[in-house]
Amino acid sequence: MNWKMWSLKKSPWVFHVNTGACNNCDIEIVNLLTPKFDVERFGIKLVGSPRHADALLVTGVGTRQAVIRLREVYRQTPKPCVVFCMGACACGTGIFEGGYHVAGPVDKIIREVDPNAIIAYVPGCPPKPEAMISGVVKALSAI
Amino acid sequence: MNQQELKDKLAEIKDKLTDIQQPLDDRISLLCEAENAYAVNKFLFEEVPLRFVIATGIDAEHCFEILYHFAYDQLGCFVTVKAFIRDRENPAIESIAPFLPGAEWIEREIHDLLGIDFKNHPDMRRLILADDWPEGVYPLRKKMAGEIAKQWPCETSVRPTTESPARRTVKLSKPVLAVGPFHPLQEEMEFFQLSIDGEIVTDIDMRISYNHRGIEGISETLQFDQVPFLVSRVCGICSASHPLAYVQAVEDIAGVTPPERALYVRVIINELERIHSHMLWVGLAGHFIGYDTVFMWAWKYREPVLDLLEEITGNRNNYGNVKVGGCREDIPDETVPKILQEIDKLEKKTEMLTKAVLDDPIIHARLKGIGVLTKEDAIKYAVTGPTARGSGIAIDVRRDDPYAVYADLDWKVITQPEGDVFAKAVVRLLEVLEAVKIIRQAVKKLPKGPVAVEVKEIPPGEGCGHAEAPRGETFHYVRSDGGNRPVRHKIRAPSFVNVPSFRASCIGEHISDVTITLAAVDPCYSCTERLAIVDGRGSILHGYEELHRLSCEKTARLKKEIGPPEWKLEDF
Repeated sequence: MNWKMWSLKKSPWVFHVNTGACNNCDIEIVNLLTPKFDVERFGIKLVGSPRHADALLVTGVGTRQAVIRLREVYRQTPKPCVVFCMGACACGTGIFEGGYHVAGPVDKIIREVDPNAIIAYVPGCPPKPEAMISGVVKALSAI
Repeated sequence: MNQQELKDKLAEIKDKLTDIQQPLDDRISLLCEAENAYAVNKFLFEEVPLRFVIATGIDAEHCFEILYHFAYDQLGCFVTVKAFIRDRENPAIESIAPFLPGAEWIEREIHDLLGIDFKNHPDMRRLILADDWPEGVYPLRKKMAGEIAKQWPCETSVRPTTESPARRTVKLSKPVLAVGPFHPLQEEMEFFQLSIDGEIVTDIDMRISYNHRGIEGISETLQFDQVPFLVSRVCGICSASHPLAYVQAVEDIAGVTPPERALYVRVIINELERIHSHMLWVGLAGHFIGYDTVFMWAWKYREPVLDLLEEITGNRNNYGNVKVGGCREDIPDETVPKILQEIDKLEKKTEMLTKAVLDDPIIHARLKGIGVLTKEDAIKYAVTGPTARGSGIAIDVRRDDPYAVYADLDWKVITQPEGDVFAKAVVRLLEVLEAVKIIRQAVKKLPKGPVAVEVKEIPPGEGCGHAEAPRGETFHYVRSDGGNRPVRHKIRAPSFVNVPSFRASCIGEHISDVTITLAAVDPCYSCTERLAIVDGRGSILHGYEELHRLSCEKTARLKKEIGPPEWKLEDF
């Protein structure tokens, strides 16, 4: 493990990217910051710019309009970074499969620009906040 | 005006119509040809006057139909104008947006999805489809559905530039504040451009599409009983209201009445949803003006409500608890005392929060007189829900067209006349207390019995359903041809009419007040991520952090000017 990977695992800062979700995963992500779950005690922090982030929390199906914006955000994130597909839509377009404006899922969009991207999946519609925390912990310990 | 008088009034324009139909007592359809639609709509909106709800475009094989839905709230009655466009090669119709700005977005949407030209429309740019969507491809035309996504793959190499259609239109001679499309905290993607003159906002332009998943198209491929699960995912926070409105539309068609217990369960779930949604808004509003304590409090109080919903329906959000003919899950008897206990606790906390928020002189100074939406503008933009009630318009579907068992319960519609952000905050906080009242009565009255009846088939026909979501009226229109799936399903979420009203409420405001004004309608999207102030040459001067800081600084400055609060912590 090089020092970059080592530092990635400590106190990950995350940037939240919505690519066409129904809001639920997003609300649950914000919920992680509030007193009941409070992930800041683990050093996990939501940041305002992808340039400050160690990980992207991506929600939503990846609509046509969102595709190029998602790639741009991924490009701006310092590497190495982890892409978390939060929820059923991001993992595999979920209930919106086959829609005319759906270009996802998210891993397909990211892999087209970076085949070696580190991608982790947290399924659920929406995943419970506990599941999100568990997913992040599992992914980081697997790196 | 009673129903007979309404009918007499409608008879005044008989010569413009081909037929008047009344499939149900409170559903009136006016049929006309495309060239008369403008006059008929103008008459309904200005002379009767009715509230504009939405328009639906339908590809009916031999012609196009545009359905203009109007509501007469005093009677809970829908009047639908059906305009037929016979020319399939060059479909066109006169735009109603010049006298009804609330119709501007829906006409742009119909243009995108069905390729119908609206003559004299003030601003016929692309609204709902992606920038790289090919010209001349209309996804809701029957012959084009299906393989569209595969036939026209996305452009892979393009990077977002300043050349997107939304950006081109704002003249760059003035400084422009670009808001979006990403936000680190809030939910969805949305892109605003504010022209500014010094600190004052002079114009606003919006671009949506980032979140367009084509749900109306997907709905036509699902069976009637699968659709509630899809529409509960229109918006995660309104995930009880959307399926309810849909189910009521289908029950309209099938003539089904659900058992009484199911109606009570629907009310309880919907009011729990209203509480958690309003609490969520109060928290975010606090965050936007730099009061993170309010944010943490409100979201903490919201958690027990989510736990209750999980206990009843199996999921914290996206309950999908209604189905045609009743409910999917019943409220277990052992949960009933728990509901009463939790809402008692919640009531006390909400009263405390309401007192702390509404008595605070700094919040008064920060929110009063900010982002005013006047009553006239509110009618023109056809806004609904707390946004309308905060501007003194007393409309509420629960009272005007009572569904479920709202008519049997004792509660009141909260209105405030001012139209500013403070009024909207008051409306929401007091509505939480009303919702607690409703739940308490519904739980106590909860009758015994089944929660669903079996529905064998859905006959051909059309139905309208609406429900009062936390953000306003959710409207669903469903057309059935007797098969097992809808042939057309139109969804109108409340934000679709509330968001365009920014044009009336934001212009003339200070930049530091814009974040809270944009948040005041509780839009289902995010506004302020990469909030960047761009000067005339396009270089970025301020980011989101800067703008949030400006907003917080204004609060801090006011705090200093006003001095320490008169109440002490011990008062609570």
